[in-house]
Amino acid sequence: MLRVGGTVSAGVPLSHAAPSVTSPFGSASYVEGDRIRALEVGDAAVPPTELAFLDGIQRYAVEGRIGLVPVVRGYVAAAVLRRVRETLQAVESRSEEFVLAPFERLTSQQRAELEGVGLPLYDCPAAERSHPILDVRLAAKEVETKREVLELEIARRYLEAEPAGWLVVDGALTALSEVLEMSPKVLGLIKSHETQFLDGRDLEVALTLPAAHRTSVFARAVGEHGRVYTWYLRLWPWEEHDLLYGLVRVERAPTDATVDEATAVSRWLLAERAPLAARDGRWDRLIYPIQQVETYLRAQAGGWW
Amino acid sequence: MIRLGDGGPVGRVVATEALPAGPHQFHFWTATATPVGIGAIVRVDEEAGRTVYAVVVDGRAYSDLATPLHEVVAAEGDPAGTRAPTRRTEVRLWTAAVLRHVPEEPVQPVPLAEVRLATDEDVEAALRMDAYVRSEQPSAIPVGVYRAGGLTAPVSLDAEFLLGPESAHLNINGVSGLATKTSAVEFILASIFQRLPMQKGTVAAVCFNVKGPDLCFLDQPGELADADRELYAALGIEPRPFDRVHYYAPFKVDGVNLNTLRSHPDLLGSVQPLVWGLREVLNFHEVLLNRDDIDAKADAFLDFLADRVVEREFRDEWGNTHRVRSFADLERLFRCIFDGLEQAGRSDVWRTHHVATIRKVRNRLLNISTRCKGLVTDDGTVSDLPFGQLEDRAVYVLDVAGMDQLGQDLVFTRVVSMLREHLERGDLGVEHVIVFVDELNKYAPSDGPETYVKKMLLDISERGRYLGLVLFAAQQFRSQVHRRIVGNAGTVVFGRMDMDELATPGYQVLSPATKIKLATLPKGELMVRHPHFTQPVFVRFPRPPVLSGPVGLKQFPPAADLPFEEAVVRQLAALDRRVSSARIKDSIAGRREDDVRRALLATKRTRPEDVVGFFMASLGPAVSREPIGRGESVARPLRSVEDPYAT
Ligand SMILES: Nc1ncnc2c1ncn2[C@@H]1O[C@H](COP(=O)(O)OP(=O)(O)OP(=O)(O)O)[C@@H](O)[C@H]1O
Ligand SMILES: [Mg+2]
Repeated sequence: MLRVGGTVSAGVPLSHAAPSVTSPFGSASYVEGDRIRALEVGDAAVPPTELAFLDGIQRYAVEGRIGLVPVVRGYVAAAVLRRVRETLQAVESRSEEFVLAPFERLTSQQRAELEGVGLPLYDCPAAERSHPILDVRLAAKEVETKREVLELEIARRYLEAEPAGWLVVDGALTALSEVLEMSPKVLGLIKSHETQFLDGRDLEVALTLPAAHRTSVFARAVGEHGRVYTWYLRLWPWEEHDLLYGLVRVERAPTDATVDEATAVSRWLLAERAPLAARDGRWDRLIYPIQQVETYLRAQAGGWW
Repeated sequence: MIRLGDGGPVGRVVATEALPAGPHQFHFWTATATPVGIGAIVRVDEEAGRTVYAVVVDGRAYSDLATPLHEVVAAEGDPAGTRAPTRRTEVRLWTAAVLRHVPEEPVQPVPLAEVRLATDEDVEAALRMDAYVRSEQPSAIPVGVYRAGGLTAPVSLDAEFLLGPESAHLNINGVSGLATKTSAVEFILASIFQRLPMQKGTVAAVCFNVKGPDLCFLDQPGELADADRELYAALGIEPRPFDRVHYYAPFKVDGVNLNTLRSHPDLLGSVQPLVWGLREVLNFHEVLLNRDDIDAKADAFLDFLADRVVEREFRDEWGNTHRVRSFADLERLFRCIFDGLEQAGRSDVWRTHHVATIRKVRNRLLNISTRCKGLVTDDGTVSDLPFGQLEDRAVYVLDVAGMDQLGQDLVFTRVVSMLREHLERGDLGVEHVIVFVDELNKYAPSDGPETYVKKMLLDISERGRYLGLVLFAAQQFRSQVHRRIVGNAGTVVFGRMDMDELATPGYQVLSPATKIKLATLPKGELMVRHPHFTQPVFVRFPRPPVLSGPVGLKQFPPAADLPFEEAVVRQLAALDRRVSSARIKDSIAGRREDDVRRALLATKRTRPEDVVGFFMASLGPAVSREPIGRGESVARPLRSVEDPYAT
């Protein structure tokens, strides 16, 4: 492996093919330079004092069927934990529990019955033809959308109260592009890399970044017209693991400041490697404060966990 | 964030399958900044109206760190590396032992509810003190204050369980100097004297001073800090020394200087000599004669002496009449017996007693008069505790610190036996008497032979509570004292403890955290076990209201021993300052020392208005002027006779 210029991986034995990826490719354009390069960011640096973290969770359960129509109970929650003198404190938190069913498949009487259960009842899409798996998947998508809406709302509320502070969000900013206009200090921290925006040599540079290196900043499309700036950052050495080990992608509003500050931001993100979020299997990419938001939300969710 | 003592919740009960909440123990968490600590008393309320009181016995803190390796990885192996920007979430988890459920039935697991710090009333309820603090006939004896989270609540013992009859006795343990054992007993005595309600009867204390100046200044005020005064106020006790203290000490070998560190001229007048004669000793010969080598034969001979000889007219076979009142008289009798037997020829037996037995008993008895010279007189005069006229709320201190173990054993056994006899007859003068013995391990060690002293202590510990004979005892190591004697103490107090001692089996019931607290307890803090308290509680008590031994010695330095005449003058002058030294010296010049001693003793005992006149009268007219060698010992063992048991 090494002789041919390769890298040794962890070699963990598996049985099944990886789950299918829904959107494997996206498009990108260069922002910092005319190709993707690996840039050393230097040592970890002290993060800004005004810093908060946002995450959301979702859960759903098929509570029953009316005929073939699934009745899904959903739970979504989101919270912001702000760090004050090394301690995380919840400053915003919201949750919602509801019932989903495709209204088009229900009679008005059935709908009225469902409304009577005491939880808000929402419509959701259904497959063209009845499909026991596809129908549930569509309902689940709706739960996800509800979580994104909640996250947006929480983010907005936080930024109204603390317009000057940084806000690190778990995951892509796709659904939060609205708040990017409110604050240039919102960061998305992406740890799953299902969608690949780069190609060829650029992709290879990105996925084989050495530890404490970042890629040059590039832009990716959001929705039909929007875009965000983004770069990859390697938190932990991937040698003896695999390409994605310790690799995160950072998103931020498409401004010059994002490019200018990419190295500085990367450096303080390196500091967030400690303490290790080791209770989670994804600790190589998950920072402790985000894990704490999730822990907090799960504790609040009680019966759903 | 956390306000102390306002009754707001400080924690919440948690229960998991691994750490369930039971009826006797439960766990709760608090914020990291919390007034809760080991020994804190808390309450848990269930909405249905049930309340559980408990004391915190253990505490733990941990974070979500699964293994220390993760910290190493995060710091990339460098302990000095960049500090983590977020502190891990931390939990303070406490274990509490239940003190009381209200209502008491049905006994159920502790509710998973909010935890609050106990208030004054809660402490009363938690320790079941309400029954004797607030009852119509209160019987509460304050022992110290419980403190937690800015709250101070008095803790009291129940007199019925401290002085009998429900239970009795107090035992206090802890390392030397730091455990404040002696001080605590002094304070508790003051508390009893001031707070024992009239309807509970009269009480006196008889204290054996076994160590230097320890109890020599109980009638003198000690220095107190403001904090001490606050504690006295909180407990409702006046910080004043004992106003009725009677001191007793034997003489030194010279028979005239008292064997006590309370010999400063200002205080000496209040020390009575402790002087016993042959009768007092013979009645307790079991103490003096080591059980191991006294057989039935010697016993029989001793009984013979006690019943037929001492203080009776006794004729021997050789035409002498004896009236044995003193050791000197006894020695005369023995000489007559030995001389008579020798003259009579080959006989080895006198009145069924073998000569070897007689010789053994003689040597033992005379050995006592040598070893306890100063306590035991040769001339039959006696100065003793006023058995029968003990006063209410008076302390009788017997200073035996200067005596050897044999003498201490003798004093101890005889005094306690006398107290007991009088209490049984109901004519001691008081209804309760507290006997304070420091260094109990010396008198009742856990190992070693069954001595008379040990048996007596065991008997008091088992039956004393019905009689009003209460034992307050102190020792460094409970494990070194006879198990049943400490086991019978209703109230057990612990000061700062030794870690090795805490590792012995007797302390297994204590949680590790409680043990550590005991091993690091500051001066003035005690852990108290009392029949009403389901769990031991920690309290703070003030310095005792009396002068401590070491400070007392500085304020009242002991006087140097004086020559015979000077000593007599000083003792008389202590009774009356007007006594003229020249006149006394004149009157005793050339008189037999024994006669002078007798007159002095009589004067001290009587405390007459006219000290000199009484003394002169007791001395009587100067008739005989036989020269007698000063300091000559009567008890000269017969070296010529072989006695394998001679010591
Ligand atoms: N309530 C108190 N608060 C603070 N210090 C105290 C308190 N009571 C006593 N002390 C101090 O503690 C010291 C030791 O007290 P004490 O002589 O009673 O201990 P002890 O346990 O009897 O020691 P030992 O085993 O040597 O006889 C004294 O110097 C005294 O001043
Ligand atoms: Mg002491």
